[in-house]
Amino acid sequence: MAVSLVGRRVPDRPLRRLPMLLVHLFLIGLGFLYLYPFLWVLASSFKSPGEFFEAGPSLIPAALRWDNYRDAWNIGHFSTYFLNTVIVAVSVTSLVILISSMAGFVLARTAVPGRTVILGGMVALMFLPGGYTIIPTFELVQKLGLLNTLWAVILVQAAGALVFNALLFLGYFLTIGREIEEAARVDGASFPRIYAQIMLPLARPMVATVALFQFMTNWNSFWIPLVFTLGNPALRTLAVGMYAFVGENSTGWTAICAGAVMSILPIMLVFFLLQRHFIEAVAGAIKG
Amino acid sequence: MVPLAARAGQVSLGSGIRRASPYRFLRRHGWSYLFLIPLFALVLPFVVYPLIASVEITLYDWDGIGHPTRYVGLDNFARVIHDPLFWNAFAHTFEYAGVLVPIQLTLALALALVLNNPRLRGAAVYRAIYFAPVVTSAALVGIVVSLLLTSVGQSLNHALLQLGLVREPVDWLGSPTLALPTIIAVGIWHTFGYNLVYFLAGLQSIPRELFEAAAVDGANAWQRFRYITVPMLREVGAVILFLAILGSLQVFDLVLVMTGGGPYYASEVVSTYIYRFAFTPAAVQAEANVGYASAAAFLMGLLVMGLTALQFLAAGVLRRQRAEAAG
Repeated sequence: MAVSLVGRRVPDRPLRRLPMLLVHLFLIGLGFLYLYPFLWVLASSFKSPGEFFEAGPSLIPAALRWDNYRDAWNIGHFSTYFLNTVIVAVSVTSLVILISSMAGFVLARTAVPGRTVILGGMVALMFLPGGYTIIPTFELVQKLGLLNTLWAVILVQAAGALVFNALLFLGYFLTIGREIEEAARVDGASFPRIYAQIMLPLARPMVATVALFQFMTNWNSFWIPLVFTLGNPALRTLAVGMYAFVGENSTGWTAICAGAVMSILPIMLVFFLLQRHFIEAVAGAIKG
Repeated sequence: MVPLAARAGQVSLGSGIRRASPYRFLRRHGWSYLFLIPLFALVLPFVVYPLIASVEITLYDWDGIGHPTRYVGLDNFARVIHDPLFWNAFAHTFEYAGVLVPIQLTLALALALVLNNPRLRGAAVYRAIYFAPVVTSAALVGIVVSLLLTSVGQSLNHALLQLGLVREPVDWLGSPTLALPTIIAVGIWHTFGYNLVYFLAGLQSIPRELFEAAAVDGANAWQRFRYITVPMLREVGAVILFLAILGSLQVFDLVLVMTGGGPYYASEVVSTYIYRFAFTPAAVQAEANVGYASAAAFLMGLLVMGLTALQFLAAGVLRRQRAEAAG
């Protein structure tokens, strides 16, 4: 394949294009199979219960039955789950951006005493495995009286993401030149002002990346909302609500499919709108 | 890190000249500390404290209600180590990682090589398609696939029976031999996109001139792959491998929503084992024991940490070897 790169350009005759055409056919076919589960759940969310089994693999429903959505939204409590998920995802994302950028700014730009110790502690925390400390976290939340509130989910999720993102911001702030900041200081800009009006706007690409990933992670999070809403079904997020919905199965499979579409569609739309940014951020993680 | 520390040192030079009073200190660093307070206020109680407390809980026989009082020493650890079901879950966790990681990474590298062809148009579109499942949650993916197996599985079984390929309907998630492999297959599909994008990024960082020069020298496609791509990908590949192993060892959502660890613990992994002991109401599960669950969690955490340390040692050795080879 690299032969054509050497300069002896072979004229594009139809026969030479054939292998590339086959590659495309293969990639399109595989891509269709790859996304089939999502297309299938979208189609099934409009099917009747009978159709769900009789016309199982079909991607074209006989009619658009919006009843499934109505049932999921009302009887399946998806209106509540949807709102909870939006609240959690937006609050955690905002908290993480604000708190980790503030900390990253201080650690990158000032000689605050204890800086080395703080940095060492943060790096050490990155190496300790997460996810196995849920039990004492649960006890603490209970003692603080936050159990069965959305605050528990928001604070625990945000706390878990802070150290990593603060280190990301720290790294980003280190790459920004000091000239603008020093000019502002000479002009008498205060510390919070330099952060909010100069440094944070300069770190906009980092803010966008963190926002994207935090929103996705928190829209999808399951383990923490599951544990912290065990006692109060009204606080379930979409993923947890779906899990419970399947267990209770009060309204049938097609309504569950409608619930799944409502849970997946928003984040899929965000992804396809911003896919380049998304993928470049993921790729950046491995290069850096 | 070194230039950073040096810069910090320069900035603080002035503080030694005059004797610092608490007032001056606060004036100088007050804002900095204020800006760090929110981080500490969340990380100390919700990240650092649980790390320490999780060790203490392991020493008690405790159902999770009120204060732990029945001190049992290392008894919980002894019981975990002697529980065949823990080792059953442990083996499944490693089976999950051990099957998923090689298959997923091989397929991801293969597709990345195809998509990295400069003559392939629309590579970005394909990349987005194969990445898409990653942005959805494992819990939802698990539920959707379970539904799919309920509905399409029935049609599929019908066809398989008619063709005489199977004697009785295949129960993907209900059969002890098929439950875990089915979950692994879904796991491969769900997080494949991450590794595809990682490998693509790695491939794009290899200078094209290397391939061109090799082609001029008469190297065929396989030789170019073997002697350029593979060595150039080694470092990125090690990181990808490490992330894939760590991620798959923590599998929880998929298993919980697809089988709950069943049938008869046939697909139980360590995380669902812990969940079962820690968070199942005592009414359902007589053996609910938070201390015991913590001991199991601690052992698994220790193991994951050990693997992390091992990876860093290996990376260090690799880097030194390369440096020696280069120098």
